[in-house]
Amino acid sequence: MPREAEISVNEREFILKALQESVRLDGRALDAFRPLELTFGDEYGVADVKLGRTRVIARISCEVTAPLPERKFDGIFQIITEFSPMASPAFEVGRPTDAEIILSRILEKAIRRSNALDTESLCIIAGSKCFALRADVHIVDHDGGLIDASCIAVMAALQHFRRPDVLVEGEKATILSVREREPIPLSILHQPLCVTFSYFEDGERFLVDANMAEEQVRQAEVIITMNRHGEVCQIAKYGGATVDPLALLNCNTIALQKVKELSKFIQQKLEEDVKKKDKGGLMAELSAENAR
Amino acid sequence: MAPEASLSHLHRADGSATYIHNGYCIIGAVNGPIEVMRRDEMPEEATIEVNVRPAAGVGSPKERHLETLLHSTLRSIILTRNIPRTLVQITLQVRSLPEEDGTSGVNTSLTLLPHLLNTALLALLSASIPLRTILTSLLIALPTPTPKMKQPVPILSPTSTELFRTQPIASLHVFAFSADRKLLLSESEGTFKYAEWEEAYEMAEEVCCRDQGGVGLGGGEGMEVDGEEASANLEEWLRGVVRRKVEVEQRWRSAT
Amino acid sequence: MAATTATIVLPGDLIPQDALPAPQNKKKVLKLGPGLRQTPPTIISASIAGALVADARKGSAWIETNSGRYTPTANDLVIATIASSAGESFNCTLTPHTPTALLPHLSFEGATRKTRPILVPNSLVYARILTASTQVSPELTCVDASTGKSDGLGQLKGGMVFGVSLGMARRMLDRRNGGVVVLEGLSEKMGFEVAVGRNGVVWVDANEVGKTLAVGRAVQEVDELGLGEKAQRKLVERVLRGVA
Repeated sequence: MPREAEISVNEREFILKALQESVRLDGRALDAFRPLELTFGDEYGVADVKLGRTRVIARISCEVTAPLPERKFDGIFQIITEFSPMASPAFEVGRPTDAEIILSRILEKAIRRSNALDTESLCIIAGSKCFALRADVHIVDHDGGLIDASCIAVMAALQHFRRPDVLVEGEKATILSVREREPIPLSILHQPLCVTFSYFEDGERFLVDANMAEEQVRQAEVIITMNRHGEVCQIAKYGGATVDPLALLNCNTIALQKVKELSKFIQQKLEEDVKKKDKGGLMAELSAENAR
Repeated sequence: MAPEASLSHLHRADGSATYIHNGYCIIGAVNGPIEVMRRDEMPEEATIEVNVRPAAGVGSPKERHLETLLHSTLRSIILTRNIPRTLVQITLQVRSLPEEDGTSGVNTSLTLLPHLLNTALLALLSASIPLRTILTSLLIALPTPTPKMKQPVPILSPTSTELFRTQPIASLHVFAFSADRKLLLSESEGTFKYAEWEEAYEMAEEVCCRDQGGVGLGGGEGMEVDGEEASANLEEWLRGVVRRKVEVEQRWRSAT
Repeated sequence: MAATTATIVLPGDLIPQDALPAPQNKKKVLKLGPGLRQTPPTIISASIAGALVADARKGSAWIETNSGRYTPTANDLVIATIASSAGESFNCTLTPHTPTALLPHLSFEGATRKTRPILVPNSLVYARILTASTQVSPELTCVDASTGKSDGLGQLKGGMVFGVSLGMARRMLDRRNGGVVVLEGLSEKMGFEVAVGRNGVVWVDANEVGKTLAVGRAVQEVDELGLGEKAQRKLVERVLRGVA
């Protein structure tokens, strides 16, 4: 069975020794994210996130189906994460690794169960027609921090997506194509984002956004999801050494600060994209920049 | 419009390429030669694995069908006997499709196929997998003859808008050629006469391969001409892409 | 690089006679390096994409490229990771997900049946490839068979490894034509140990975390940005200022 190559003894010792001196391999601060890039495609609902060398693409698509019988007034929303050998030969098609299962569970808890998306707004006719939305997460390049990057990608893609408008007359619903009427944005209730803390030295030292090498050396991780209002959506800690509650509170404070920064960043990129799509606005924007 | 391509931009994969053409954007990655699973091991040659992943959703029979076509075509150009008992893993991720893709009413696996083949080749070149030859691929659409136009003009690598507008399409053809003008793949759909297929074949050959005399290094003049990126010839285009890659790799020689 | 010429080739391109170094005398045969293959009797064609390099003095030609996975070749110096110890030899990995290479327990300086080196899994060794072919897994050695000396090969203790491109590793091992001056520059002001593996791994130990990182990152920067000699000297100054 192909497995991820293990990190050498030398690297392990060096990383730990460096951390004792509060030094990270790429020279980042302990609580700093790697450089984040976010781009959108020409079509709605595609977000391409680069977090250092990690690259994740999220794509939202929708179709019309019948709602689940027990949830007549809700649309359907699914997040699908499937690793492909593109990111690493250790990822096999149709054989999910532990990392893949954890990623999909966290995204499920962080985004779907925290009601980030108003699924009721996806309902067209109660009990018979609704939109089924799906978010496909493609891992293209893997250098650690998949959970944080995927969460950013899905949330950005959801906010970027536009669904077709519907005309409802009694029991009859007509889906209006993009040419007929401007598609409408989804109703997003809040924006949960994940911040993963990797800890070392029995919870003495916490790292934000560990890369692949750091992930292989860490004792365990704590994943905190919250929105920019500081509402915690979930906290996950899968095994590993025990963590002091106070340290966890401290993590929460850092997470809030990070989430605020990330939200602002996503918002800014979304606004830039809107300007780019709006041709006239683009010219105005360019001339304004030149004036400065 | 010549396709856009960038090579070796992913860090984990041994070779990678992004290919953008007519609204299609495909990311290709190649890992290899790597260790092969015992059950797939072949004593004399390399095993090739092709994964096609759709933009939305998980693989369906359509992707499996494309994988089979890609597998047999790529197998014929990879020097599998030079790297026996290894695995060459090719992953093609469709990143975006043109908006009209699903609505143009034609078989979408044929419209996607040439782009997948070109991406796979670029990724293989990037991974420096030993190849017998290069490959270029193209889609040709033949519109249905109308009373006005008895002899409709075939459309070379039509965009999906063109396909949408020139309804009805009588037949679609995908061709792939090696550098020495050998036909590697021919997939057709619809109703057509042999003469029509032959015409399409000749047109595709013209665009995919460059002049006969130009095979090998003799055609070096073509490579010296810089800035000819919009060249309609696919082989010229491919050489341009590789030249830019080599230039980036060798820039330390000329750097101060 | 005066003795060499470069043309860009694609797989399947035929290499004409005049692009190859002419045999100076009957005894000297033409050597074909990576990326070139011969179809008997006289057809020579490329199998990978890259720059065709012909060295008239050595009577050899090959295709230079800087992408793809490392292919083990006899006589290459590599940094291998011990995967496991089995019977008479260690199993080592040169690149992830490839079949392991063999490093016999006795292929170390001063190793005898009674005093075998003890290497735990995931430790690093600097080794030379003894044999490599497509048919059998490569064999490594950490000792020069004729002298019985290690010549700097053996276990790498401490330090840190940094990944570089295969082309960069080749350049660093090619003192004359590689055009890498960053290490010489740094060594004038600080002391450190370096081992370069052709499999794209550079091991650096400068005893201190900061210094080791500075050296390793400088090498990576030269690689990623394709720095020339002048730019490398500037980088050296910058790094030395940062460490001091």
